Amino acid sequence: MELKKDKLTEALLLLRGASNVILPVSNDGAPVFKLWDGVAEPCLSANTSLPPKDLLFPRSEKMYDYNVKTGNISEISSNKKQTVFGIRPCDVRSIENLDHAFLESGYTDSYYKTRRDGLTTIALACTETARTCFCDSMGLSPNDAPGADIVLNDRGDAYTVKSNTEKGEEITRLWKSLLSKETGKASKASGSVVCDFKARADKDLPEKLVARFDDPMWDKLSKACLGCGCCSFICPTCYCFDIGRENHGASGTAFRCWDSCMFSDYSRMAGGHDPRPSKKERLRNRYLHKLAYFNLRYGVTLCVGCGRCVDKCPANLDVTRAMDIISEGVRADG
Amino acid sequence: MAESIRAANIEAKNADGRAVNPLLPCMCRVIRITEETPDVKTFRIQTPDGAKPFDPMPGQLAMLSVMGVGEAMFSVTAKDDDWIESSIKKVGQLTEALHSLSEGDLIGVRGPYGNHFPVEDIKGKDLLFVGGGIGLAPVRSLIRYALEHREDYGSLDVLYGSRSYGDLVFKSDIFENWPSRCNVHITIDNAEDGWDGHVGFVPTYLEEKAFSPENKAVVLCGPPIMIKFCLASLMKMGFSKENVITTLEMRMKCGVGKCGRCNIGSKYVCLDGPVFTMSELDDLPDEK
Repeated sequence: MELKKDKLTEALLLLRGASNVILPVSNDGAPVFKLWDGVAEPCLSANTSLPPKDLLFPRSEKMYDYNVKTGNISEISSNKKQTVFGIRPCDVRSIENLDHAFLESGYTDSYYKTRRDGLTTIALACTETARTCFCDSMGLSPNDAPGADIVLNDRGDAYTVKSNTEKGEEITRLWKSLLSKETGKASKASGSVVCDFKARADKDLPEKLVARFDDPMWDKLSKACLGCGCCSFICPTCYCFDIGRENHGASGTAFRCWDSCMFSDYSRMAGGHDPRPSKKERLRNRYLHKLAYFNLRYGVTLCVGCGRCVDKCPANLDVTRAMDIISEGVRADG
Repeated sequence: MAESIRAANIEAKNADGRAVNPLLPCMCRVIRITEETPDVKTFRIQTPDGAKPFDPMPGQLAMLSVMGVGEAMFSVTAKDDDWIESSIKKVGQLTEALHSLSEGDLIGVRGPYGNHFPVEDIKGKDLLFVGGGIGLAPVRSLIRYALEHREDYGSLDVLYGSRSYGDLVFKSDIFENWPSRCNVHITIDNAEDGWDGHVGFVPTYLEEKAFSPENKAVVLCGPPIMIKFCLASLMKMGFSKENVITTLEMRMKCGVGKCGRCNIGSKYVCLDGPVFTMSELDDLPDEK
């Protein structure tokens, strides 16, 4: 099945009738996910500068209201339906990662689950890679998004439409009158994108990383780190959070918000003890969590190779450099 | 590499067995506050309808909150049919707020979290409890359990010390309730007027007592420096690390292995801990 590009607006309007539609629009030229107003032109030229994770795990989210006088606590939950359009294969994989963390092992996170149940993903396979992309080094393909409800492939004047799930089937039914048979004369090749960059993220990386826990390379790798936390906030898979309270006299609201393991007070305990007192320990923990500890716990890597942290780090820290050093067993200054 | 340590799916449930949001506290009443030392108080906690908030195993944790101030994880030091207790040292903002509470005040409670002391694995063994300062708080839950299930365990020895007499916690237990039911050995760091008991550091006292490692499990809890020296003493006395059990503390926000803060390597202290054997700790990176 395919969807002609001149029918895209119509298709999006149909989606908008059934749920909120979130898609990339231009923000001074940079694509960002926004709630679609039904008018704005989708900006699909490159991946968004910020990941879509706050659709499921908002940067700040109300958890419950409380009243100390009455002893009342009332849960706050959001059950709105959302459809995200134009999400890239790496970000689809990041949602699968978040599912592991929030749903599949250990306790189920009610807040995440409600949003996840209400989310439909319409992925767009990539037609080219950015300078910093390394998804195929992390074991996924820019040409497909098996975890998405629907995957679109750009064929020039049309998108091929592939449904992976029941939610996807619902959408193809919704689009029935707009879809046509594939013509087969693709004007633009897609499905054959190859990343230029190859991080040497071999399957032994977790063991190699853990084995080099005490390696002096961590001092060198972390030297330039500013501890700004930018990498965590723009990472599609980082999910650390803090829980805080907004208090108004006897009543108030508890909320959770994104946090970063790169912040100096992140693991500092009351009384002052900090198991990760300097940026060396914090950077090491961040890389090890992504590339080793998460594997040990959930069987997958917590990095999808979107390259946002490589692109945006103000100090030019590069996780792929760390992977290269470790995979090749060389010294950080080698 | 060790096989993936996928935790089984844990459903947080309330007393009726209904699934609940594990991050949602219930408001409970502080029904009794005991001043243990100048900076340690024990809080007895009950739901407004007179029940215990949950039924923890020895060593498990409770997330306590003073609404508007914050939330932190504490060990549950004791439980009864209709209450739980936590003993809390004043060290920061939240504990300061807890210490300023009065009996009858409401606090948020959620839990229980974490694993627990291996009460089954240590059945039939002699137990040696070694505590320093507020470190007796988590150990007390197991001492009480062993006393309640006296027939399941061999001899029970409690060796406990603190800086001064005034800093000893649970005085009614260590001087009145326990001595008739198990062997209690108390020490304080420096001699003081009115104290005719043992004087000296816990590790030294431990060696003086020359406990036999034969069929004995040790539960060791206290300040890191005390743990370090006690462990050295125990090794000298012939104990093995598999038979020395301790509990860890780490900053926590969620208690359910999600917020990311309390990991040591791939383990979360809130989920896989707080109870570890010393040999398990040897396998974890040195970030404690």
